[in-house]
Amino acid sequence: MTGTSSDARLITPTMIAAWLVLATVPLWISKVGLYPYIGVEILIWSIYALAFNLVLGVSGLPSFGHGAFFGIGAYAFGLTQFNVAANLWVCLIGATLAGAVAGLLVGLFIAHRRGIYFALLTIAFGQIFWTISVKSHSITGGEDGLLNIVRLPVNLGVVAFDISDNDSLYYFVLAVFAVVAVVLWRLVNSPYGRLLSAIRQSEVRTAHLGYNVWLYKLSIIVISAGFSGFAGGLFAMAQRSAFPDVMNLAQSGLVVMMTLVGGGLVSFWGPVIGVIVFLTARDVIGAMTNAWMLYFGTMFVLLVLFRPDGIAGAFKLLVERWKARGATPSLSSAPRSG
Amino acid sequence: MALVEAEGVHVRFGDRVVLEEINLSVNEGELHGIMGPNGAGKTTFFNTLTGRVKPNRGRIRLNGEDVAGLSPHAIARKGLARSFQIMTLFNDFTAQENVMVALPAYRARGFDVRRAVAGDASFSDEANEVLASVGLAGKAGISAKLLSYGERRALEIAVALAQRPRVLCLDEPTSGLGTDGTLRLAELIGSLKGKLTIVAVEHDMRFLFSLADRISVIHWGQVVARGTPRELQENAWVKRSNLGSFG
Amino acid sequence: MFDLLPHLLNGLVLGLLLALIALGFMLIVGLMEQINLAHGSLFALGAYLALALTGPNPPLPSDLAALWLQVPLGWRYGIALIVAPCLAGIVGIAVEFCMRRTYGSDPLYGLLLTFGVALVLEEVLRLTWGTRDHVLPIPQSMSGGFIFGDLIWSTYRFYAAGMAAVVIGLVWLFIEKTPYGAMIKAGAHDSEMVRALGVNLSKLRLGVFMLGTMLAAFAGIVVAPIWGIRPHMGVDAVVPAFLIIVLGGVGSFWGAVIASLLVGLAVGVSGAYASEWSLLSMYLLLVAVVSFRARGLFGKKSMLEV
Repeated sequence: MTGTSSDARLITPTMIAAWLVLATVPLWISKVGLYPYIGVEILIWSIYALAFNLVLGVSGLPSFGHGAFFGIGAYAFGLTQFNVAANLWVCLIGATLAGAVAGLLVGLFIAHRRGIYFALLTIAFGQIFWTISVKSHSITGGEDGLLNIVRLPVNLGVVAFDISDNDSLYYFVLAVFAVVAVVLWRLVNSPYGRLLSAIRQSEVRTAHLGYNVWLYKLSIIVISAGFSGFAGGLFAMAQRSAFPDVMNLAQSGLVVMMTLVGGGLVSFWGPVIGVIVFLTARDVIGAMTNAWMLYFGTMFVLLVLFRPDGIAGAFKLLVERWKARGATPSLSSAPRSG
Repeated sequence: MALVEAEGVHVRFGDRVVLEEINLSVNEGELHGIMGPNGAGKTTFFNTLTGRVKPNRGRIRLNGEDVAGLSPHAIARKGLARSFQIMTLFNDFTAQENVMVALPAYRARGFDVRRAVAGDASFSDEANEVLASVGLAGKAGISAKLLSYGERRALEIAVALAQRPRVLCLDEPTSGLGTDGTLRLAELIGSLKGKLTIVAVEHDMRFLFSLADRISVIHWGQVVARGTPRELQENAWVKRSNLGSFG
Repeated sequence: MFDLLPHLLNGLVLGLLLALIALGFMLIVGLMEQINLAHGSLFALGAYLALALTGPNPPLPSDLAALWLQVPLGWRYGIALIVAPCLAGIVGIAVEFCMRRTYGSDPLYGLLLTFGVALVLEEVLRLTWGTRDHVLPIPQSMSGGFIFGDLIWSTYRFYAAGMAAVVIGLVWLFIEKTPYGAMIKAGAHDSEMVRALGVNLSKLRLGVFMLGTMLAAFAGIVVAPIWGIRPHMGVDAVVPAFLIIVLGGVGSFWGAVIASLLVGLAVGVSGAYASEWSLLSMYLLLVAVVSFRARGLFGKKSMLEV
């Protein structure tokens, strides 16, 4: 997030426009040849990527093991449903808490690290959780996964909705996404969020200003892991199952990739753009060739090389150039003061 | 009474002794200069004072309290602020936001996630005041990376001042500045004199001799000479080493 | 106590193999302070290239292929051990050329670039050789087993461990006894000094990256007969290599070797008691060491930490 100033608005016009567009998705998605379920997937992965970007883009901490928190959330959702209570809210809280606790555990070991060691240790911890989930047959079902997870009804006290079909699930997840986006948007623009950005820019300076940098890093790892777990819980419900492969290194790498492709380093919405592009490309290119990862991987390499700021970065540049073109005449007449 | 006191501070990196035995005391309200040749240990002493380097032995007292070995943020909270020789500004922030995050009021709300920073006048007014005090009144909205070199140096000091410190530590504040810039900076630091305690590492002799109340010369990890600028100019060691010449 | 011996021996062999796998990764991270996430794919690439050279269907016109298959397997295997790493080295050169664009910016970009390369390479392997498991044929003289202490031992494992030990020794000689090695060591901590020595840093980086990828491919060939060949074999092998670097400390040759042996022994011995969980022991070892020694066993301060 390189934005030079914080944004005071709780809800921005961009958000409202995005929600309105997203609300129409079930009406036309099948007509353009995509499966309706992809909408659900996009929204859940968007929540996950926004949560992940709290660590990568906002705080500058390169985590390559975030899949663990997502996966733990998924298992926790299923296990809460089977063993505690088959209530949607209880299960989602379970998923969030499980992610956050795992984040705390990992954070205690890595929050004082940065750069190369941070990245390598997140890989290690990701693998630890992955190994445990594969080997603990009796709890997680091992490679077979945790099956028979039910899409629980949305109980709002006075009314309850059934979300077992994809369209109603989509609208539920959209509502959740909207709330999460507002919460994270405010977090990023709050004193806390701006401090995380300061830590990304200079950890040393921030410490000398009297901030306990370690505590800030630990707290954002926990928050990010909690939201990732929450997204994992939604994912388990949408898929009606939880599997260990969302926790492996390649899957953890994918969320980094989506976040970057979209431009998470320069824009709050970058991760969402990245998720939309990635999942749509997967379905569209994947329908034409089974080598889609080859094309997407190549595109990603080119992007890192030539447009490291991602799609949002390229868009910003375009807007700036367009503005600059309009502003050129006035610039030459007014003397610059700086 | 001495506000800052270093007693027998000894720092080793591996088997290399960087600070042999530093004894130093700075009185409240004093501007204390530190000079010495490159590699003499000035910056290491500074880093030890501000908590980046933990001394192997010795005491550092701030207002009578031993702070040696405390972390940088703990020392900063006790009222010690520092600037950096290699500027470490928040480049993606505006000048105003650079100063804002340094304010004690902001620090008190560091974990606040309920309100946005933007439009919060309790931060911006105070930040603008600090910016004005270093001559950056019109630059509040400009991104730090777009400021000129001299402006960035001033911002570096503004960030330290915004912490409302009792002790201000300046690490080579004139580094990279031209004659004009140095003059303006001398004016700024002169205006702060007496209002707060300042410790300044500096290699520009003219600058230091014109501003400092007392000066300590660090060489080979020790304080080899100390006194008022006038005393130092008469000091045999300083004369011999040409440190005091204005050539 | 004696029944532990086979596990210790297995652990030692595993440790040597892990050291071989980690070696190329260690060189690159040491000199360039870049995490090469494509290390695993290059490791797999080496194994697949060797498969192409020694397997029953060499990628040659049919008459040439028939001729090539006349060559004894032992010879073909020996040639594969040299040629396959060289081919992988060419890929390494290409990656390094791409990577130049990322020097000087956040090391994150180098990491992401190599992640992208890994995706592409793995997909190429999958498209060329399919997803099924392959077996790398080895000469008769190296295969089979022998009986020692009432147990059957696989001969090849010991050949593999021996090759690993020899290559580790050669790399050590290269680092310690040649001027290039001195530059690599200097560069690991001080690229300024490398320039002062009059070394062309970009050539040095290219050379080290090439050497690193060649070592990855070589490790792939040596390990393939034991662990099998499949497209994602790289990930399984390379994650322990990452851990070993953290455990041993970035930029330390002996740190990496000792850490490999420790990990091998930990996995081997824990395998005696809970074979299901033996892989976890290496993670626990890492967590234990890193909690007490921030930079691993022999790590020096890295510029990436600042």
